[in-house]
Amino acid sequence: MKYELVAGFETHIELQTKTKIFCGCTTQFGGEPNTHCCPVCIGLPGTLPVLNREVVRYAIKAGLAVHGEIAEVAKMDRKNYCYPDLAKAYQISQLYAPLIIGGYVELSNGRKIRLHHIHIEEDAGKLIHQHGDTYVDYNRGGVPLIEIVSEPDIRSIDEAKEYVEKLQQVMRYIGISDCKMQEGSMRCDVNISVRPAGSEKLGTRTEIKNMNSITNIAKAMEYEFERQTDLIESGGAVVQETLRYDDATGTTSSMRSKEDAHDYRYFRDPDLVTINVSREEVEALRAELPELPADKCRRYIGEFGLPEKDAQLLTKYRAISEYFDKACEGVKSAKTVANFIIGQIFRRTETESDKEVFAVATTPEQLNELVKLLDSGKIRNNLAKSTLEKMLDSGKGALEFISESDMGGVDEGALLELCKAAIEANPKAVEDFKNGKEKAIKALVGNVMKNSRGKADAVAAEAKIKELIS
Amino acid sequence: MVTREDVENIALLSKLFVPEEELDSLTQSMQDIINFADEINNAPASDEGFDNINNLSNVFREDVVVPSYPSEEILKNAPEQGEDHFLVRNRA
Repeated sequence: MKYELVAGFETHIELQTKTKIFCGCTTQFGGEPNTHCCPVCIGLPGTLPVLNREVVRYAIKAGLAVHGEIAEVAKMDRKNYCYPDLAKAYQISQLYAPLIIGGYVELSNGRKIRLHHIHIEEDAGKLIHQHGDTYVDYNRGGVPLIEIVSEPDIRSIDEAKEYVEKLQQVMRYIGISDCKMQEGSMRCDVNISVRPAGSEKLGTRTEIKNMNSITNIAKAMEYEFERQTDLIESGGAVVQETLRYDDATGTTSSMRSKEDAHDYRYFRDPDLVTINVSREEVEALRAELPELPADKCRRYIGEFGLPEKDAQLLTKYRAISEYFDKACEGVKSAKTVANFIIGQIFRRTETESDKEVFAVATTPEQLNELVKLLDSGKIRNNLAKSTLEKMLDSGKGALEFISESDMGGVDEGALLELCKAAIEANPKAVEDFKNGKEKAIKALVGNVMKNSRGKADAVAAEAKIKELIS
Repeated sequence: MVTREDVENIALLSKLFVPEEELDSLTQSMQDIINFADEINNAPASDEGFDNINNLSNVFREDVVVPSYPSEEILKNAPEQGEDHFLVRNRA
């Protein structure tokens, strides 16, 4: 029998506010242990949490960016559990009246992964287990999080990967989080079950906790899909449980047995008052959002006529798309700009983090100037390309490298002279070409281009050379 | 109806040890508390707009960093500490 994978995600994203959710301690990553703490975030009796206004604003932006509905009334609840990562023995979170309801993430195959809700909550402290003892650092305790809870709409590992990537991309675009999975500012819990293909009924699910890379998410899901399928095929049943994925062995193992299954006894936090969100505030925040990647991508394909692949590369990070938009202003063909960026500039921003920052020596205005020279026919493509390399090396503008005499083409007579000179200088290439080595002609054309400082028309030069030597 | 199992479960979740001989009396106490809460729930009241005693909403702080406490102060009340961390011993 064929089985289908069904998965839903709970994604925690740390918000980039300056201070924690309920106190004025810094949210900076790292720091000496227990130095970003105060009586509020270590839960001393008699302290009172006060909600950071910016957390609400960031969460609303996140909600708008994934098409969620912003609640008019939201409340904070206590989630009770006894574990040393929480000093108070409860986490302040939202269950009964979360800030954002619904929403979706649209995948490239057109499927919409629906969101159940998004809520705000505080992060827990960091535990270091050593020789059976536990060392607790509360610097991270109280750092604001949003938790994005999806419906079980994901049907494949590729969809799961794309879902996480899309969330990461959009949250970075709107500037609410850096979403660095390796630093823990984005973490996923994956709920996964299997069912016979075509069945409507959901199978029993397991939950894999705290996944911190997309690669591991894929591996863990693959393992769990196989494990559950094998179990059912051999007549067994999946037990609902919480699992941990072990990167080293590539397997999942049980974290909690059924006997101590969590019962969080949620109730309204009496220390925190109701959050009322006015529609004016929602609209003001909507107006602050940048153009979102999916909209940009559609615009690049629709308005600029870019191939989808180019549009995706250029919208992956906000910095690249903004660079591209500026460089395109008033040019004849956005595709030319795209080619320069993808072909030449990307070679200098090799890593993903380089691409994300996109700190390039050449400004988009300088690239724009170069493309306009090309548009006007004053320079040829080869010269433009080599000039861009020099611009990228130096940070200088195009006109630093192109003189008046470089502009305009090479006339018929000059081209003939250049071709003759190239033939004379490269007898071996001529010989090779005559012996049927087609490629040898490239060396001759290259010589013409070099001596004309890129001004000559390469296609015309090739034709002329062929004419001369055959 | 509160059962002995409910009390045992709550004790487990709260990491409390409850001796067998106290289970019955605790179960009765818990039932009394629940009954009292039910009594309050049944009291006639209009539930219009009541949220909290001060009728407050939207109490916020601005996102401005204030200095944290020195770690010695933070750790001062820790039952045990080690390497500037709160230290939780494995009881098992």
